[in-house]
Amino acid sequence: MTPWVEPAFCAFHGLLVGGAALLVPAAQRAEWLREWRAELWHVRRSCACAGEMTAFCLGAFKDAWCLREHLRRERVRTVSLHSSAGQCLLGLAAVMAACCTVAYLLPQARPVTDALRSPARAGLILIRQPDDGSGGHAAISFRHYKVLSETRNRYLDGFAFYRIDREKLLNGQVRQGGWKIAYATPNLFSVLGIPVQSMDGNNEAGDGMPAAMVSEALWRSEFGADPEIVGKVLCVGAREARIVGVAPSRAWKLPEPVDAWVLAPEEVMARSRAGNVMAHLTGAGRAQMWAGSVNITVYGRNNSELDLSGISIDGQTVTPWQMFRFAVFLALLALPAITTVSMGEYGPSSHRPPWPRRIVRWLYLVAKFALLLPIAYYASLDLAYWRSFGSSYAADYIQLFSAFAICLGGMRWALLDQRQRCPICLKRVAHPAQVGLASRTFLAWNGTELICTGGHTLLHVPGLPTSWFATEQWLYLDASWEFLFAGTDAG
Amino acid sequence: MAAEPKLSHTAAMILQAINAGYIYGFSVMEMTGLPSGTVYPAMRRLERDDLIRSHWERQSIADAEQRPARKYYKLTAAGRSTLEVSRKRYPLLERLIPTEEAEQV
Repeated sequence: MTPWVEPAFCAFHGLLVGGAALLVPAAQRAEWLREWRAELWHVRRSCACAGEMTAFCLGAFKDAWCLREHLRRERVRTVSLHSSAGQCLLGLAAVMAACCTVAYLLPQARPVTDALRSPARAGLILIRQPDDGSGGHAAISFRHYKVLSETRNRYLDGFAFYRIDREKLLNGQVRQGGWKIAYATPNLFSVLGIPVQSMDGNNEAGDGMPAAMVSEALWRSEFGADPEIVGKVLCVGAREARIVGVAPSRAWKLPEPVDAWVLAPEEVMARSRAGNVMAHLTGAGRAQMWAGSVNITVYGRNNSELDLSGISIDGQTVTPWQMFRFAVFLALLALPAITTVSMGEYGPSSHRPPWPRRIVRWLYLVAKFALLLPIAYYASLDLAYWRSFGSSYAADYIQLFSAFAICLGGMRWALLDQRQRCPICLKRVAHPAQVGLASRTFLAWNGTELICTGGHTLLHVPGLPTSWFATEQWLYLDASWEFLFAGTDAG
Repeated sequence: MAAEPKLSHTAAMILQAINAGYIYGFSVMEMTGLPSGTVYPAMRRLERDDLIRSHWERQSIADAEQRPARKYYKLTAAGRSTLEVSRKRYPLLERLIPTEEAEQV
């Protein structure tokens, strides 16, 4: 052999082994290459013939390919393990926990989640005078409020009067301007049923100052979420008020948002202009509601009649939960249009699974739906409130559409997944095989067959639904198939 | 379901060669006459099935002999019992690769 031939062959064989190494998955490549290079060194010492060495090096390709295939099969086995029913439910539960956590952490979504924990008192109405033809509702004077609250009425059991003004607040040395302040009678929060974070037992702070309540948003933005805020004096316009608590965000369900409330005594409120009256309906009063409103006639001491109308506060705002229920309803209506709701038929010659297995199968479907709904709810809240939009309507629409899309997609996936799970072991069927020819559909059958890896069932999926084979059919495999599934949990 | 894995004749031969003391890939190739594309994948399958176990030679030994370190294979307990079963199935196995030769390697 000429002197340059040997290094050339060495380089060639090194290239062959190096090329074969590219077939090996990266994680195993270094060790595989080390072994083959060591072996090649010994082969060079033992073999004089370059052809033998080349044959040896070509074997590296087969070894690399076998190793690659083995690792691929391992991955497939892992994936099929993940497709088990328990893993699927665990995955859904994890997604649900993640969506729920995000919803509770998002600052924009927090008011919604807080409001869910403290829902508004049922049966609240806003009382106004009937439309005067100007397109708006006239406000009610304090005198009429007094008449209302002092008249015995079996439909209403609580009244509060409030008026909203735009005022400047003096917090420390800085005069802040343009805040919406509600001047209200002291019983406003008890009528509303709003749990206040910290509330003095008395409406008055004891020093003659009116009590003031600040909204959570104002407390955070202007007071830096000061935990010692209770007892501090707040200058509202020209008067002082002592802060007695913080009202939870979104607890105020009335049409106009408010930054702070000043609970003034009735004699002070009597000097104010006309305002709004809130009332709480008794059970009998709620029965009189029609389309979210109720007519109220008040008879004064001099037999004068006052006709008023009450509008339900619950009916004025659509809560995220109501929006979600509507989205679920729409998704249920749309579901049959995008997928068949059949769970697959059982073949005519095949027995049906025992009823405990059927119950487990249905429970699995119910569990998937039960996990999907909270996922859709919290994920839609996340999407709607991930940032603050200019209008609350934007968030409502985003929530509606996202909840609808997630519900529809999720339900479709749940049904498709259910149809591809063996009714016995709930594992996904695998190894699809095309059977028959499409051109012979009307003489024979064509479609796809999938088999349960546990050896329980065979699923026939028609390629073209016909009157005699419209939906998927399950065929149960008897004991004669068991030899094919040695090593699995067949049986 | 079979309790003992049933080995092919090739796999049984490789197992017998390792048991006989041919403990690295090229020596197994030389002993059995099988090509590298058969021996190495078969040894990986045997290792995956826990019939053999591999370990790297100490680098100091290889350095002393001025050669790269080798990967050595040896039978596990399961491998030995499987080989016993395979010997009954392939009676000529011991005659093809006598165990006595192990001492010479």
